[in-house]
Amino acid sequence: MNRDRPLRYQCVAAMVLVLAATAAGAHSASDAYLTLDADTPSETGGAARTVVHVQWDIALRDLDFVLKLDDDGDGNITWAELRKHQTAIAAYAMESLNVSSDHGACTIRPKRQMVDNHADGTYAALFFDIACVGAARRITLDYRLFFAIDPSHRGILVFHSGPNTATALLSPENARIELRP
Amino acid sequence: MLSVHAGAPAGSSPVAPAAPYRAPYLPSTDSDVLQQVPAASDPKVSEMGTLRLQLNANPTDLRTADRLARVYIDFGRQLGDAHYAGYAEAVIAPWLRAKPPPAQVLVLQATILQFRHQFPDARSLLQQALKQDPRNAQAWLTLATLDMVQGDYAAAKDDCGQVARDGGFVLGIACTGNLRSYLGQAQQSMALLTQIEGDAPNLSAPFKAWVQGLLAESAERLGDWPRAEAHYRKALGYTPEDNFLLVAYADFLLDRNRPEQALDLLADHSQSDTAFLRIALAQAAIGSPELVRSTWIMAARFEALAQRGSDYYGREQVRFALHLQHDPQAALELARRNWMMQRAPWDARVLLEAADAANEPQAAAPVLTFLEQTKLQDPIIEPLAQQLRAQLKNGTSRAP
Repeated sequence: MNRDRPLRYQCVAAMVLVLAATAAGAHSASDAYLTLDADTPSETGGAARTVVHVQWDIALRDLDFVLKLDDDGDGNITWAELRKHQTAIAAYAMESLNVSSDHGACTIRPKRQMVDNHADGTYAALFFDIACVGAARRITLDYRLFFAIDPSHRGILVFHSGPNTATALLSPENARIELRP
Repeated sequence: MLSVHAGAPAGSSPVAPAAPYRAPYLPSTDSDVLQQVPAASDPKVSEMGTLRLQLNANPTDLRTADRLARVYIDFGRQLGDAHYAGYAEAVIAPWLRAKPPPAQVLVLQATILQFRHQFPDARSLLQQALKQDPRNAQAWLTLATLDMVQGDYAAAKDDCGQVARDGGFVLGIACTGNLRSYLGQAQQSMALLTQIEGDAPNLSAPFKAWVQGLLAESAERLGDWPRAEAHYRKALGYTPEDNFLLVAYADFLLDRNRPEQALDLLADHSQSDTAFLRIALAQAAIGSPELVRSTWIMAARFEALAQRGSDYYGREQVRFALHLQHDPQAALELARRNWMMQRAPWDARVLLEAADAANEPQAAAPVLTFLEQTKLQDPIIEPLAQQLRAQLKNGTSRAP
């Protein structure tokens, strides 16, 4: 899978079936998208550590509400304005994400930020690696993004590990998830 | 918002022009506009900012919290943007945990849930609020709206009586006027609403806009198109950005076969999902080349809702399946489920349209019974109902 290209873009055909099964009243609320890819042990050089590659898409609308990205207040977030706030965005986002494994602590290593388009607007795409000591069997993710200011926010998580894919919906009631790479 | 970006895609592989999305990318120029957000010059935005600062300074002040939550709910409803319902929910959350929560907070939370179409939960909170405060006019009015949306007109009649008792003449008339238009009494509805449509200085612009919107709806029931349009325009004069009104007026224009005007009307409102559907329907009506892209985006937005576990069904989705995906069977299934939750005239209409398109007149039976009981008059729904009734009676389906 091309890691920079989230899975949902590839399932247009499947979408219609999902639509028929689960409809909605046409109001968009706040969503963020987490796409995780576990490295195969061989890639990490003898399983001395476990690495998961992550793309985290967070809506600029939501980030503007908490971090005021629209500096000149004209109602348009420009690329220049977004760039100026990228450090603050990364800090804010990472503060709401805790990662640990059954082998102990994990660290988050930021890689880069880009911009991603979704059907309801433009998102900041945060790329980073989760690196855990040893061959972790369980990685626990504690997700709190925006819950304090908007309990209807949802984190939509897709986890790829080898041939397997798992999905999860993160909410205030279900904020912690265990990944098994 | 869906702006076109000039930046090259990250993989640098060319993207087919029809595809609305690409891989994550880096915009090419500083001035690229990535996202529209409410402008600081919007008085509502500064009001929200001020109230938020006040609440931060005094986090236990229910009055400020109540006001801030109301402004959020109003603003979100105006934009058709569910984010603000979530912000309001966070603001009142501490009081909702109290035992028992204050009645006014229960009513606010019910309003938020109603906005999200979580009707049973909204109803239960309203009942709790009224137990505590039986003369809470806002709770009665919200319950009346809920009963009307769900087609329980006998209950709505009682609710409106309570609204008149506890909320005063104007509110009571608005409630009853609204209700009558669903009961084959659109003429009386107009007469009632006309009494309160004046420019009384103590009435807020959103309230006046609401009354004008109700008048427009009643005029539509009577097939008085010029009058309906005049009321829609007057309503939008009070609240030009109101998503609910814009969408209702766009539906009116689509029904009158004026898709170009619907497109003009909604040009700046594509961020709202309900408005976006009308944009796509208008594009379909004029055979716009944009339609393929819009249909894709609409499907993706519904898919995003499904992914987040939204479990309510809407008339928008029926219309999408029926008119843009040309899938009458799927539309009928959605319309049936929608009918279990919502029974406003539009919900009746989409189920009849879907039953007709799917050539399954028997699926329309619950709506036909409902229409007979309520005596709804509507120049679009009535002929459709008659046609389906005739098919049912003859035990025939429409010739293929």
